[in-house]
Amino acid sequence: MSPTKQKWTGVLLVLAPLVMICLSLFIGRYPITADMVFKVLASRVLSLNSTIPDVYDTLIWEIRMPRAILGAVVGGALAISGAAFQGLFRNPLVSSGILGVSHGAGFGASMAIIIFHNNAWAVYPSAFIFGMIAVLLSYMIGRIYNTTPTIMLVLGGVIVSSVFAALISFAKYVADPYEQLPTIVFWLMGSLASARYQDILIAGLPMMVGVAGLLAIRWRINVLSMGDKEAHSLGVNVAADKAIVIACATLATAAAVCVSGIIGWVGLIMPHIARMMVGNDNRLLIPASFAAGAFFLVLVDNLGRIITSSEMPLGILTALVGGPFFVWLLKKTRAGGW
Amino acid sequence: MTLIKIMDAEFAYDKNIVFTGVNLQINSGELFCLLGPNGCGKTTLLDCMLGVSKLSRGSIYLAGKNTCDFASGELARHMAYVPQSHNQTFPYKVLDIVKMGRTAYTGRFSAPVAADVDIARESLKIVGLLGMAGRPYTQLSGGETQLVMIARALAQKTPVILMDEPTSHLDFKHEMVVLETIVELVRNMGVTIVMATHFPNHAFYFDNNGLDTRVGLMHNHSLQKIGTAEQVITEENIESIYRVQAKMLCYDVEQHQAVKQLMPIKTLDRNND
Repeated sequence: MSPTKQKWTGVLLVLAPLVMICLSLFIGRYPITADMVFKVLASRVLSLNSTIPDVYDTLIWEIRMPRAILGAVVGGALAISGAAFQGLFRNPLVSSGILGVSHGAGFGASMAIIIFHNNAWAVYPSAFIFGMIAVLLSYMIGRIYNTTPTIMLVLGGVIVSSVFAALISFAKYVADPYEQLPTIVFWLMGSLASARYQDILIAGLPMMVGVAGLLAIRWRINVLSMGDKEAHSLGVNVAADKAIVIACATLATAAAVCVSGIIGWVGLIMPHIARMMVGNDNRLLIPASFAAGAFFLVLVDNLGRIITSSEMPLGILTALVGGPFFVWLLKKTRAGGW
Repeated sequence: MTLIKIMDAEFAYDKNIVFTGVNLQINSGELFCLLGPNGCGKTTLLDCMLGVSKLSRGSIYLAGKNTCDFASGELARHMAYVPQSHNQTFPYKVLDIVKMGRTAYTGRFSAPVAADVDIARESLKIVGLLGMAGRPYTQLSGGETQLVMIARALAQKTPVILMDEPTSHLDFKHEMVVLETIVELVRNMGVTIVMATHFPNHAFYFDNNGLDTRVGLMHNHSLQKIGTAEQVITEENIESIYRVQAKMLCYDVEQHQAVKQLMPIKTLDRNND
């Protein structure tokens, strides 16, 4: 890739999510003209004293704006973790949920919904903590032989995921079918509909730590993807670096899942879009994945608000958009480098 | 000068002894060929030297220091490794792969700098693949991939390079290309190479090219014979260890003095039923 092309790709990756966030301010069920959106934006940015109805101001600044921002950081966090795990596990078909974080968080949320009656202050921490516990369990299974061979970690993730999937089913089984069960089901399908600034603040810190950690260690992921033996001979403390990548990716994913529910496909597919744009060097791929994920999730959320009158859950749409795309990707990559 | 010193080394898992009582000294500037039948423990011995596996008894010294006392990055500044066959995953560019040889000189949270890229390009030039620097390495042939692995090891700038059967998957020509590259490394750059191989003639090839070559023959869980190619690879030793009847040939090629090769004739006491 020539330096100029690389530069323009970079500009595109920075601008695309920002443009999509701006676009999402104009989209939604409540009828508000584009003209009015500009006025609302201008009145706050330029602190004009205007006669804009409060409902418009609230709609743009308190509902659409936080929702778009949350969508962007959640999408970015899922995609960046997916890219890191793909490198770490040397497998392009791995996603951010490989070590069971989604199922763990799903169980944590379901349990909190049943016990604490869908109190957000219980659901978030419970989802987050159980997401972390799931990954910790997978990691401990992976360490049975005192090392962390990739295949053992994957097996650990499969085992832990299926156990938590069963526990989610159990939670659904015992939940009150009129109040709690629908809440659980909707939570598991993923949504940004209830996004407020407080969600961004709650989930922001662990997400920021995770994303920053992955950005910092991103070149090492190249070396880790050479396999344990080669990485060791190249001078990497394999166990320590693997643990750092897993911890960062898990923080980011668990925080994303706890505010938005289970949103599949982003962590699998967006790293591949980024690969096509910037190549496989994780030094570029990791930040590009964040941008691509941020763009994609806001896009899908916007689509969800446009195509149906009642909002379609995100998890459904990401899979509906992501599935066919992935087939196309498989076809295309067979002709490509791998 | 002794660079590597292996003392009374033993490796066992559960109760299976892979090798035991291995004593070996490898000198600076030497090419040491590790020979032996399949499963005799060559790869395990290399793994122990690399620190991937831990000896169950004994110790390995590198430049006078026990390899167990090296930090992970420090060992990689003394000893590089060329794998038998590299498992390709993502289509990294050739230069990106060679840059990974600079890991031991790069902080955990940083990436190689311009000086590292220069070293990587220089290493690619030595193996003759600088023209392919920008290509995805998944598109290279097996022989070229192996040369990239050698370039990556060179970029580590280590006095020692370990190679585990570096030619085992290569065609006739690329085997020679890799062997010639190894000769250049030892002769021109003074690298010490420890190489596990299945082919006794590799040792003769290096010997014929005037390298300071020694051979260790592993069998029955230990290093049974150590010496020059001529001392170790004899018709008797090959017959007793491999159960292969072989004939030593000596002939003149162009201006070279006598070139030696071992010619296999037939296997002995093979199970035919």
